[in-house]
Order: sequence, then C-alpha cells, then structure tokens
Amino acid sequence: MGRIVIGILMMRKSLYSIKKRSTLNAIYVIRNCIQDLVHKETIDAVPNAIPGRTDIELEIYGMEGIPEKDMEERRRLLEQKTQESQKKKQQDDSDEYEDDESAASTSFQPQQVQPQQGYIPPMAQPGLPPVPGAPGMPPGIPPLMAGVPPMMPGMPPVMPGMPPGLHQQRKYMQSFCGGNMMMPMGGMMPPGPGIPPLMPGMPPGMPPPVGPRPGMPPMTQAQPVTAPGILNRPPAPAATAPTPQPPVTKPLFPSAGQAAAAVPGPVGTDFKPLNSTPATTTEPPKPTFPAYTQSTASTTSTTNSTAAKPATSITSKPATLTTTSATSKLIHPDEDISLEERRAQLPKYQRNLPRPGQAALGNPPVGPIGGMMPPQPGIPPQQQGMRPPMPPHGQYGAHHQGMPGYLPGAMPPYGQGPPMVPPYQSGPPRPPMGMRPP
Amino acid sequence: MSLFGATSGFGTGGTSMFGSTTADNHNPMKDIEVTSPPDDSISCLAFSPPTLPGNFLIAGSWANDVRCWEVQDNGQTIPKAQQMHTGPVLDACWSDDGSKVFTASCDKTAKMWDLNSNQAIQIAQHDAPVKTIHWIKAPNYSCVMTGSWDKTLKFWDTRSPTPMMTLQLPERCYCADVFLRMFCHAVNTSVSPNLFYNLIQVHPMAAVATAERGLIVYQLENQPSEFRRIESPLKHQHRCVAIFKDKVNKPTGFALGSIEGRVAIHYINPPNPAKDNFTFKCHRSNGTNTSAPQDIYAVNGIAFHPVHGTLATVGSDGRFSFWDKDARTKLKTSEQLDQPISACCFNHNGNIFAYASSYDWSKGHEFYNPQKKNYIFLRNAAEELKPRNKKMWQNRGRLPQPRQRYRGFVLWTKGGTCSNYGAVPE
Repeated sequence: MGRIVIGILMMRKSLYSIKKRSTLNAIYVIRNCIQDLVHKETIDAVPNAIPGRTDIELEIYGMEGIPEKDMEERRRLLEQKTQESQKKKQQDDSDEYEDDESAASTSFQPQQVQPQQGYIPPMAQPGLPPVPGAPGMPPGIPPLMAGVPPMMPGMPPVMPGMPPGLHQQRKYMQSFCGGNMMMPMGGMMPPGPGIPPLMPGMPPGMPPPVGPRPGMPPMTQAQPVTAPGILNRPPAPAATAPTPQPPVTKPLFPSAGQAAAAVPGPVGTDFKPLNSTPATTTEPPKPTFPAYTQSTASTTSTTNSTAAKPATSITSKPATLTTTSATSKLIHPDEDISLEERRAQLPKYQRNLPRPGQAALGNPPVGPIGGMMPPQPGIPPQQQGMRPPMPPHGQYGAHHQGMPGYLPGAMPPYGQGPPMVPPYQSGPPRPPMGMRPP
Repeated sequence: MSLFGATSGFGTGGTSMFGSTTADNHNPMKDIEVTSPPDDSISCLAFSPPTLPGNFLIAGSWANDVRCWEVQDNGQTIPKAQQMHTGPVLDACWSDDGSKVFTASCDKTAKMWDLNSNQAIQIAQHDAPVKTIHWIKAPNYSCVMTGSWDKTLKFWDTRSPTPMMTLQLPERCYCADVFLRMFCHAVNTSVSPNLFYNLIQVHPMAAVATAERGLIVYQLENQPSEFRRIESPLKHQHRCVAIFKDKVNKPTGFALGSIEGRVAIHYINPPNPAKDNFTFKCHRSNGTNTSAPQDIYAVNGIAFHPVHGTLATVGSDGRFSFWDKDARTKLKTSEQLDQPISACCFNHNGNIFAYASSYDWSKGHEFYNPQKKNYIFLRNAAEELKPRNKKMWQNRGRLPQPRQRYRGFVLWTKGGTCSNYGAVPE
C-alpha cells in the first residue's frame, strides 16, 4: 500500500493521473500510468468502458460532472423500466384502481401536460385545478354544475395542494372548472378567511395562468369582482402554468415569495437576523482549518453561508450584543459600505474637497492656505508643482483669490474636471520630463 | 526637530518610554515607533523598492497628508518629507525605481510625488474618491492604475491628463493588488516551473475586489484586460487583497480578507480547486470561551513576506498575525493593541514589518477619539515569518528546521504543499 501511495505521489504530474485520480480507482490509475510509462502508449479512450462512455476528458466526482446527455439517457431508462413494471402490474391486477400516480410522477421529467381531458389526477384534488380554457370549452358550460357543489366543502383543504398539479393538469377538470365559473363568485367569497387563500388558486387557475382566453369572457369579467377579496394575483402561477414545478406555496403567497419570510429587525445578507441566529449555523462551503481558529466550536459564525444577496446594497450588521450563547457579533457598523466610505461621509473629511472650505486640517502649520501663498518658513517646499502655472490660468486664479482659507490651488480646479493639459505644459518648477520613468 | 510641523516628536526611535500610564497598551509588542506619525488614522503604508538603497517608508493618512521617513538599520526613523492632498489619502505606492510616490485621495485625484524635487502633481481624476493606486511596469508599458468608488479602474500615463484606459467595475473598488516581476528577490529560480500551474499564465496580474463581494482578476501583459471574474470565496464585504507568488516568482493566487475576520486563499488555476483553495478565520476574540459571544473583527490588511511567502494579517481587533498558507498554520499572533491596526506592509527584503495603530471606524463615529495618537510600528520580520517545518523558497528537500521537529508522518509533496498527517510537534 505504501508503494501505491508513493506511486500516486510520483504520478501526480502525469497528465492522466490528474484526470483520473479523482474519478477512478487509484490502483487502476497506477496501472494506467505505469503502462503509459512502460509501453509508451497514448490513451485517448477509457479502456473497458461502455461504448459511448469512453470520453477521457470528463471529470466526474461522485454525482457531479456527469454530462447532461448521459443523465437524460439514464432517466429515460429508469422511466422505461418503471413503465414496463407498471404495465406488468396492471396486467396482473386488473381490478386495482388505475393508479396512475407513477405515470404522473415519471412524467414529471418530460413535463408535458398530458391532454387527458376529464382525467382526475390522483393528487386527490377533486377541486379545481386551474384549467386553462380549453379550446373545446365554451364559456357557459352548464353541465357538471351539479357535480360542483358537493365538492365545494372539500375545496378549501384541497386548494393548497393545487398548484403543484396546476401545470400538469391544465386540461383536466375542465368541466369542474366550468362549473366553478358558473358558481357565483360571491358564493365563494363569504367564507372569508379560509377562502382568500383559496381564491388565488381558483380563478387564477382559470384564466391568468394562461392569460386571457378568448373563450372565457365570463372569467375575465368575474375577475374584477373577486379581485378585492383576493390576495395579490400571484405572478407565479402565470409563469408557472407553462413552466413546471414551482414550490408548493409559491403561487399562493406572492408577498412572501422570497426565500425567507420577512424578518423584523436587522438582517444579514441572507435575510436572517444576525444577532439572534440559532445556535448552529451551517459550515462555510470552504473548509476552515481548526488550527487557525481559537474557538473550539465551529458554530460561531452568525450569518449563513448561503446568502441571498438583496437587491439593494444596504444590509445591516448589528453591533449589539446578543444573549444567545453560540453567537457572535461583527464589529462593524450597520451598513454594508466600507469603513472608509462611511468615514469619508463625515463633514470633517469633506471640508477640503474641491470647493471652498476651511483649511482646518488639524495640522495647521503644515498646509499652505492659499494657492498664491509662498510656502511657510521652516517647512520644506511641499507645494504642488501647479502653483507656478496658476497665474496664467485666469479661470483658476479667480477661484483662489476669493478664498482665503483655500488650500493650494491645483486640486480644486481639477476636482471639477477640467482638462489637465495646462499643468503639464508648465515650465521650470516642474520636474524635468526626463526624470519620469518612460 | 521634526519636519512635520506641529506634531510632537516622540524621540528618535527606539522603544517608546513616555507617560506613566500603567494601562498604556499602545505598544504591547515593544516594537519600534516611527517618529512624527500622522495626526489622524493611517490608511496605507508602503516601503521603498529595492532599487533605492536603504529603506524609506511612506504612510498616507486621514489627515490629508502622506509622509515619508527614512528607516535606518539601527531602527531610527527620520522624517523626510510630506505632501498634502485636499482630502484624506487612501492609498500610496512607489514607482519601481523609487523616485516617485503615487498617492490616491478622497479628493478624487491621484498625485505623483517626485521625491527628488519634492513636487507633487496631479496625474489622475475620478468622479469619486480614489481608493487604490498601483504602479504598473509591464514589459511593453508603464502606467499608474487607480481604482475608485466611481466603479472604474483607470490607467494613467503620468504625462497625459486623460487615462490610457478605463475599465468598468461592477461596483465600487474597495481594494486591489498588482503583481509584477519587477522586484526580484533572492529566490531560487533553478527549478523548472511546474507545468500545470503555468498552463494559463496571468502574469503580470492585478486583482481587484469591489463592493458587493465582487472579485476580478486582470492580466496586464500587453495592456490591462479583464482575465476572469471570480465568485467570491467569502460571504462578507471584501476589505483587502494581496497577491502571492509561486516558487518561480510568478503570481499564482491571492489572499482576500473580509470584514468578518476571515481570509480566503485563492489560487488562479489550481489543479484541484476544492482542495487548494481554502479560508481561515482570524481576528476574532474569545477563542476558547464559547459561552460569551465571539467578537469578529475586520481584516484591515494582508501582506505577503517577499521572501518566505508567508503572510501577515492585521485586524480591527488590534492584533497582527503571521500565517503560513502552505502549511496552513498560524505562525504567531501578537498581543492586543489598544487601537485597531489599520495598515501593514513589509519592506523589500522582508526584514521589516510595519503596522499602523489607528482607529479604522469599525465601531462607528462614537468611538472616534481625535485626541488619541496614531502610531506606526516597525518589527523585525526576518525570523518570525519563516514557514513552518518547510521552506518553500529554499532548502527544498532538506529536513525541517530544528526548532520544529515532528513526530509522526509528515507527507512531503513536490508541489509545495505539506500535509500534516497527525504529526505532533515535539
């Protein structure tokens, strides 16, 4: 074993071992490399691999790195297998309820909405999946109304389950849908608290997910009626009807559609409150070496590693102590701007920026106070090279003369963005061009 | 007699002895104090390049000035000259020949200070404070790179008022570093380069970290161009960045510090990113005491030792620490100063480590005491930053240094990493 270990180390530089070290058996690698060394063969395909999987350029580590094509193939294989087994099962148990769950679940992948009209999905949703107005569905569908009322009581509990089925069962339950349409919306409204969450599911199910349907004028008319009582029309269903698999609650609760619920108080970058996080936090993705940290526990980090960065640039980091034991506090002001930015906003540090202001810098004798003034005695010449050229430039000169407390003139004019050409053309006091590095 | 005007001189170097305050903890490490330090917080420190004989230190401060001292071998520091901006100075750097100093300021300009004539002229203009400034001397061109809070990176020929190039940043520039081959130290260059590290060369290279955790690497070969945008390895605001090099003096990665007491070591093209890149925590309090909430401080500066390749970090907690990123160990942590350490740097040969003790605003305006003095300390860095149990740059293949023997199996690899398989220092 030791030899192999050393072998691995020695082979570290071999091209092939780099590629394969993390993906194949180590001993296989060694064999490969030694073979390579001894026989001087080039390897351009994985030996003994399934045909079609001989690519040596792949880097696969566990489940990561598998090419898409192969993943698809595998899934299809699995489906086929399950379907076959289902068929067999069905053939065996003919009196069994035609449970199409598995078919439905496997059909998640292809995610097509099966046009199975009138099909009741086994999701136990006798309720009203938001069926887009099918072409064959006239606006004033009368039938099955009788069937609807019995379902009414069952609807509220069912509603939350609807959305996942939404996309799949668009065309299902058309009839029921139609029945609903005909139901006075007011009939649904009164049971207020329970229903509003319901409502977004129902009507949105009907028209919004598929947009205004030509055959559904009643629906569109009904919408304004119900709008006040309905939660914000979730934008999600509109988007999710054509696209698959939103999370269960997303379409129904758009206001809380963000990943985390609204958190009061200061929050970290991922909306979790910084000063009261639970005791355990997730490990940062990169390993932190215990050798470095003085703390024994690794649970002291406050903010979660998976940060959902807010759109605004301001996140707050509290500087207040917490009482929870395994928390920590970030010694940093609340806003997410840099310390220097925060400090630079102080008027004290803005005083001498390109505009009139006092020259009080805290070290008065050091700075000259006028662009035209000669350097103070005792202080080595520290004026900018701009001073000599100032007089010729009347526009700048005018500035200075008006401001007794003004600092040497070179800075402000350029602070306002005028071209810098003049200074470079000035004469003697400037260091000769030759001194500059080319 | 101090040349810096009203500031009070504290003597001519040596260890400080003033006042009788028993609780005076401004220099717990008993390092050399630089005379006539600035009157407000120090934002940046830089030592002169090897082209200049001796050591000259420049420091920019929030007092709008940038000061220059000569540091003599006996530790004596002599103030030499000073220049002013009209706003706080945020960054400063030297030209490669040591004749010029470039300074960047909140007054939205950058200046070039010619030390021989003691004249400074404006060379750059931005729409917002200039946060970083670096001198770039590439094979085909030379220029000054300025990064600003106006979300641009501009490159200036010092002779022209308009920038040679302007690159847009995704956000405000918070920190940057540039690595060129201009400083050649006594590095063992006889080893042939490891081909895998050099498959894609980014040399010379610049790394810029911005607000919103932006991170971009530029290659500076023929002209500056964006090489790669990197997803930040850190979860908090970026604060400081420093490029490190490999055995053959080529930039190979960078260290990135955040406000959350953490530094990420990130290689540009590692053979195994998941294993080679890592982060470590630093500048936190209450290490072993988990019952009290831990204070997490910002990392204010990172500097790499030019010879050993080890790094130093300084933090808001008022400590500095030395680390060996290859052995992934901490070499040393200092005592706690009574103020945050706001900046640090090494001199060109790594003998001197300079760090500045001044308030960095980490606790906001309320804790700012304008009366509190600011200090710059100098420390001998030749010994303390030697890599742990392995010298990266010299003596490859030799036994570990006597002062750190290990029992147990220590795995040596040619790539320069050393894994400590349960080895215990004797």
